[in-house]
Amino acid sequence: MAGKIIADTLEHSTAGSIATNYVVEGSAKVWANVNASGTPATQDSNNLSSITDTSAGVTTFTFTNGMNDANYASYGTVRRTDDSNGNPYLTGYHLPTTTTVRFTIIDFNGTETDSGYISMSILGDLA
Amino acid sequence: MQTPDFKGTHLFDRLCWAKENLEGVQSDYRVVYEDSVDECAKILVPDPNWMACALQGGILPPVWVYHELAKDEAQPDFKKHTRGYLLHQTEPVPAMTEEEAIEYLIMKDCPQSVWTNWDSGNKPKMVICKKQQLPQTREWRNSWRISDELAA
Repeated sequence: MAGKIIADTLEHSTAGSIATNYVVEGSAKVWANVNASGTPATQDSNNLSSITDTSAGVTTFTFTNGMNDANYASYGTVRRTDDSNGNPYLTGYHLPTTTTVRFTIIDFNGTETDSGYISMSILGDLA
Repeated sequence: MQTPDFKGTHLFDRLCWAKENLEGVQSDYRVVYEDSVDECAKILVPDPNWMACALQGGILPPVWVYHELAKDEAQPDFKKHTRGYLLHQTEPVPAMTEEEAIEYLIMKDCPQSVWTNWDSGNKPKMVICKKQQLPQTREWRNSWRISDELAA
Protein backbone atom coordinates (compact mmCIF):
# COMPACT_ATOMS: atom_id res chain seq x y z
CA MET A 1 0.00 0.00 0.00
CA ALA A 2 1.25 3.54 -0.79
CA GLY A 3 2.06 6.06 1.93
CA LYS A 4 3.60 3.68 4.45
CA ILE A 5 5.60 5.26 7.29
CA ILE A 6 7.65 3.06 9.56
CA ALA A 7 8.33 4.71 12.92
CA ASP A 8 8.82 3.57 16.49
CA THR A 9 8.21 6.99 18.04
CA LEU A 10 6.06 10.01 17.33
CA GLU A 11 7.44 13.29 18.71
CA HIS A 12 5.52 16.53 19.22
CA SER A 13 7.40 19.84 19.04
CA THR A 14 6.60 20.70 22.67
CA ALA A 15 4.36 18.06 24.22
CA GLY A 16 6.82 15.17 24.24
CA SER A 17 6.83 11.85 22.43
CA ILE A 18 4.96 8.58 22.36
CA ALA A 19 6.02 5.14 21.16
CA THR A 20 3.91 4.03 18.20
CA ASN A 21 3.23 0.68 19.87
CA TYR A 22 0.99 2.63 22.29
CA VAL A 23 -1.09 3.59 19.26
CA VAL A 24 -1.05 0.10 17.74
CA GLU A 25 -1.79 -1.68 21.02
CA GLY A 26 -4.24 0.88 22.33
CA SER A 27 -6.58 1.42 19.40
CA ALA A 28 -9.90 -0.37 19.03
CA LYS A 29 -9.65 -3.40 16.76
CA VAL A 30 -13.43 -3.80 16.45
CA TRP A 31 -16.20 -1.31 17.08
CA ALA A 32 -19.86 -1.07 16.23
CA ASN A 33 -22.99 0.93 16.82
CA VAL A 34 -26.12 -1.17 16.42
CA ASN A 35 -29.76 -0.20 16.27
CA ALA A 36 -31.19 -3.13 18.19
CA SER A 37 -34.84 -2.14 18.10
CA GLY A 38 -37.12 -4.08 15.79
CA THR A 39 -34.96 -5.99 13.32
CA PRO A 40 -31.42 -5.15 14.46
CA ALA A 41 -29.02 -3.52 12.00
CA THR A 42 -25.52 -2.09 12.26
CA GLN A 43 -25.43 1.69 11.93
CA ASP A 44 -21.66 1.94 11.66
CA SER A 45 -18.71 -0.28 12.46
CA ASN A 46 -15.21 -1.39 11.65
CA ASN A 47 -13.92 -4.97 11.34
CA LEU A 48 -17.33 -6.55 11.83
CA SER A 49 -18.80 -9.11 9.43
CA SER A 50 -22.21 -9.62 11.03
CA ILE A 51 -24.37 -9.31 14.08
CA THR A 52 -26.68 -12.08 15.20
CA ASP A 53 -29.94 -11.41 16.98
CA THR A 54 -29.53 -14.43 19.25
CA SER A 55 -32.60 -13.97 21.48
CA ALA A 56 -34.32 -11.23 23.46
CA GLY A 57 -31.58 -8.96 24.80
CA VAL A 58 -28.73 -11.07 23.38
CA THR A 59 -26.62 -9.99 20.41
CA THR A 60 -23.59 -11.76 18.99
CA PHE A 61 -20.88 -9.79 17.17
CA THR A 62 -18.64 -11.56 14.64
CA PHE A 63 -15.34 -10.05 13.47
CA THR A 64 -13.80 -10.04 9.99
CA ASN A 65 -10.18 -9.98 11.18
CA GLY A 66 -10.30 -12.18 14.27
CA MET A 67 -8.32 -11.60 17.43
CA ASN A 68 -5.13 -13.46 18.29
CA ASP A 69 -6.68 -15.08 21.36
CA ALA A 70 -9.87 -14.82 23.36
CA ASN A 71 -8.28 -12.78 26.18
CA TYR A 72 -9.18 -9.41 24.71
CA ALA A 73 -11.07 -6.62 26.44
CA SER A 74 -14.60 -5.92 25.28
CA TYR A 75 -16.69 -2.90 26.17
CA GLY A 76 -20.30 -2.08 25.55
CA THR A 77 -23.00 0.36 26.47
CA VAL A 78 -26.68 0.53 25.65
CA ARG A 79 -29.28 3.24 25.37
CA ARG A 80 -33.01 3.35 24.98
CA THR A 81 -34.54 4.43 21.72
CA ASP A 82 -36.45 7.28 23.32
CA ASP A 83 -33.51 8.53 25.46
CA SER A 84 -35.74 8.38 28.53
CA ASN A 85 -34.27 8.18 32.02
CA GLY A 86 -35.93 4.88 32.88
CA ASN A 87 -34.21 1.83 34.26
CA PRO A 88 -30.63 1.71 33.07
CA TYR A 89 -29.53 -1.50 31.40
CA LEU A 90 -26.47 -3.49 32.22
CA THR A 91 -24.38 -5.47 29.78
CA GLY A 92 -22.52 -8.70 30.24
CA TYR A 93 -20.35 -10.50 27.71
CA HIS A 94 -20.20 -14.24 27.24
CA LEU A 95 -18.53 -17.00 25.30
CA PRO A 96 -15.73 -14.91 23.78
CA THR A 97 -13.88 -16.65 20.97
CA THR A 98 -11.26 -15.15 18.69
CA THR A 99 -14.00 -14.23 16.19
CA THR A 100 -17.16 -13.62 18.21
CA VAL A 101 -18.40 -12.04 21.40
CA ARG A 102 -21.93 -12.15 22.78
CA PHE A 103 -23.50 -9.26 24.71
CA THR A 104 -26.45 -9.72 27.02
CA ILE A 105 -28.56 -6.79 28.16
CA ILE A 106 -30.58 -7.08 31.32
CA ASP A 107 -32.77 -4.68 33.24
CA PHE A 108 -32.71 -4.13 36.99
CA ASN A 109 -34.99 -7.13 37.46
CA GLY A 110 -32.37 -9.37 35.88
CA THR A 111 -34.53 -10.02 32.84
CA GLU A 112 -32.91 -10.17 29.44
CA THR A 113 -34.35 -7.30 27.48
CA ASP A 114 -33.91 -5.54 24.14
CA SER A 115 -32.46 -2.05 24.07
CA GLY A 116 -32.61 0.69 21.46
CA TYR A 117 -28.92 1.00 20.66
CA ILE A 118 -25.77 -0.92 21.50
CA SER A 119 -22.25 0.47 21.14
CA MET A 120 -19.31 -1.86 21.58
CA SER A 121 -15.57 -2.03 21.05
CA ILE A 122 -12.76 -4.55 21.40
CA LEU A 123 -9.17 -3.90 22.47
CA GLY A 124 -6.45 -6.48 22.12
CA ASP A 125 -4.17 -8.12 19.56
CA LEU A 126 -5.32 -9.09 16.09
CA ALA A 127 -4.60 -12.50 14.61
CA MET B 1 -13.20 2.78 -7.48
CA GLN B 2 -10.52 0.20 -8.15
CA THR B 3 -9.29 -1.89 -5.23
CA PRO B 4 -5.53 -1.49 -4.72
CA ASP B 5 -3.37 -4.57 -5.11
CA PHE B 6 -3.72 -5.90 -1.57
CA LYS B 7 -1.77 -9.10 -1.99
CA GLY B 8 0.11 -9.66 1.29
CA THR B 9 -1.45 -6.60 2.98
CA HIS B 10 -2.71 -7.08 6.54
CA LEU B 11 -6.47 -7.73 6.47
CA PHE B 12 -7.10 -4.97 9.02
CA ASP B 13 -5.35 -2.45 6.74
CA ARG B 14 -7.58 -3.62 3.87
CA LEU B 15 -10.67 -3.13 6.02
CA CYS B 16 -9.50 0.36 7.02
CA TRP B 17 -9.04 1.23 3.34
CA ALA B 18 -12.57 0.00 2.65
CA LYS B 19 -13.94 1.98 5.58
CA GLU B 20 -12.40 5.17 4.17
CA ASN B 21 -13.26 4.61 0.54
CA LEU B 22 -16.42 2.52 0.22
CA GLU B 23 -20.00 3.37 1.07
CA GLY B 24 -21.64 0.80 3.38
CA VAL B 25 -24.28 -1.43 1.78
CA GLN B 26 -27.25 -2.19 4.03
CA SER B 27 -28.48 -5.59 2.79
CA ASP B 28 -32.13 -6.57 3.05
CA TYR B 29 -31.16 -10.23 3.36
CA ARG B 30 -31.35 -12.00 6.70
CA VAL B 31 -30.35 -15.56 7.57
CA VAL B 32 -32.62 -17.26 10.10
CA TYR B 33 -31.24 -20.45 11.63
CA GLU B 34 -31.86 -22.87 14.47
CA ASP B 35 -28.78 -24.53 15.94
CA SER B 36 -30.36 -25.90 19.11
CA VAL B 37 -33.77 -27.40 19.77
CA ASP B 38 -33.79 -25.67 23.15
CA GLU B 39 -33.20 -22.18 21.79
CA CYS B 40 -35.16 -19.78 19.65
CA ALA B 41 -34.28 -19.02 16.03
CA LYS B 42 -31.27 -16.76 15.55
CA ILE B 43 -31.12 -14.03 12.92
CA LEU B 44 -27.86 -13.21 11.18
CA VAL B 45 -27.59 -9.64 9.89
CA PRO B 46 -24.77 -8.76 7.45
CA ASP B 47 -22.63 -5.77 8.38
CA PRO B 48 -22.90 -2.94 5.80
CA ASN B 49 -19.14 -2.28 5.63
CA TRP B 50 -18.43 -5.98 5.28
CA MET B 51 -21.01 -6.24 2.49
CA ALA B 52 -19.33 -3.31 0.71
CA CYS B 53 -16.02 -5.21 0.87
CA ALA B 54 -17.64 -8.36 -0.52
CA LEU B 55 -19.23 -6.51 -3.44
CA GLN B 56 -16.03 -4.58 -4.16
CA GLY B 57 -13.74 -7.62 -4.31
CA GLY B 58 -10.03 -7.92 -3.63
CA ILE B 59 -10.38 -7.31 0.14
CA LEU B 60 -11.76 -10.37 1.97
CA PRO B 61 -9.83 -13.63 2.31
CA PRO B 62 -11.32 -16.90 1.01
CA VAL B 63 -13.75 -18.45 3.48
CA TRP B 64 -11.61 -21.58 3.90
CA VAL B 65 -9.10 -19.43 5.76
CA TYR B 66 -11.65 -18.92 8.54
CA HIS B 67 -12.34 -22.64 8.66
CA GLU B 68 -8.63 -23.37 9.06
CA LEU B 69 -8.33 -20.89 11.93
CA ALA B 70 -11.48 -22.32 13.53
CA LYS B 71 -9.89 -25.78 13.43
CA ASP B 72 -6.86 -24.40 15.26
CA GLU B 73 -9.06 -22.76 17.87
CA ALA B 74 -10.98 -25.99 18.43
CA GLN B 75 -7.82 -27.77 19.59
CA PRO B 76 -7.90 -28.43 23.36
CA ASP B 77 -4.45 -26.92 23.87
CA PHE B 78 -5.24 -23.76 21.86
CA LYS B 79 -3.80 -20.62 23.40
CA LYS B 80 -3.37 -18.18 20.53
CA HIS B 81 -3.38 -18.21 16.75
CA THR B 82 -0.11 -19.03 15.03
CA ARG B 83 -1.50 -19.07 11.49
CA GLY B 84 -3.01 -15.57 11.39
CA TYR B 85 -0.89 -14.98 8.29
CA LEU B 86 -3.50 -16.96 6.35
CA LEU B 87 -5.85 -13.97 6.73
CA HIS B 88 -3.28 -11.55 5.38
CA GLN B 89 -1.22 -13.46 2.85
CA THR B 90 -3.85 -15.53 1.06
CA GLU B 91 -5.02 -14.01 -2.20
CA PRO B 92 -8.25 -12.02 -1.55
CA VAL B 93 -11.44 -13.20 -3.23
CA PRO B 94 -12.83 -11.34 -6.26
CA ALA B 95 -16.06 -9.31 -6.24
CA MET B 96 -19.21 -11.22 -5.30
CA THR B 97 -22.87 -10.61 -5.97
CA GLU B 98 -24.99 -9.88 -2.90
CA GLU B 99 -26.36 -13.43 -2.99
CA GLU B 100 -22.87 -14.93 -3.22
CA ALA B 101 -21.79 -12.72 -0.33
CA ILE B 102 -24.64 -14.06 1.82
CA GLU B 103 -23.57 -17.63 1.02
CA TYR B 104 -19.99 -16.75 1.98
CA LEU B 105 -21.23 -15.13 5.20
CA ILE B 106 -23.28 -18.19 6.12
CA MET B 107 -20.19 -20.37 5.78
CA LYS B 108 -18.16 -17.88 7.80
CA ASP B 109 -20.52 -16.84 10.61
CA CYS B 110 -23.14 -19.60 11.02
CA PRO B 111 -22.26 -22.80 12.87
CA GLN B 112 -20.97 -25.44 10.46
CA SER B 113 -23.49 -27.94 11.86
CA VAL B 114 -26.26 -25.72 10.49
CA TRP B 115 -25.08 -25.01 6.95
CA THR B 116 -23.64 -28.43 6.15
CA ASN B 117 -26.99 -30.21 6.57
CA TRP B 118 -29.51 -27.41 6.81
CA ASP B 119 -32.23 -29.33 4.94
CA SER B 120 -31.72 -32.89 6.14
CA GLY B 121 -34.22 -33.04 9.02
CA ASN B 122 -37.98 -32.77 9.28
CA LYS B 123 -37.82 -29.08 8.47
CA PRO B 124 -35.12 -26.65 7.33
CA LYS B 125 -32.69 -25.46 9.98
CA MET B 126 -31.84 -22.37 7.99
CA VAL B 127 -33.66 -19.91 5.75
CA ILE B 128 -32.42 -16.92 3.76
CA CYS B 129 -35.15 -14.28 3.65
CA LYS B 130 -35.73 -10.55 3.32
CA LYS B 131 -36.02 -8.54 6.51
CA GLN B 132 -39.61 -7.61 5.61
CA GLN B 133 -40.53 -11.29 6.03
CA LEU B 134 -39.57 -11.27 9.71
CA PRO B 135 -42.02 -10.29 12.47
CA GLN B 136 -42.22 -6.53 12.79
CA THR B 137 -42.43 -6.60 16.59
CA ARG B 138 -40.29 -8.35 19.18
CA GLU B 139 -43.26 -9.97 20.88
CA TRP B 140 -42.45 -13.48 22.17
CA ARG B 141 -38.96 -13.18 20.69
CA ASN B 142 -37.67 -16.15 22.71
CA SER B 143 -40.26 -18.41 21.10
CA TRP B 144 -39.49 -17.60 17.48
CA ARG B 145 -38.98 -20.62 15.23
CA ILE B 146 -38.68 -21.04 11.48
CA SER B 147 -42.28 -21.18 10.31
CA ASP B 148 -43.57 -23.26 7.40
CA GLU B 149 -44.43 -20.01 5.64
CA LEU B 150 -40.87 -18.67 5.97
CA ALA B 151 -39.33 -22.02 5.02
CA ALA B 152 -41.39 -22.09 1.84
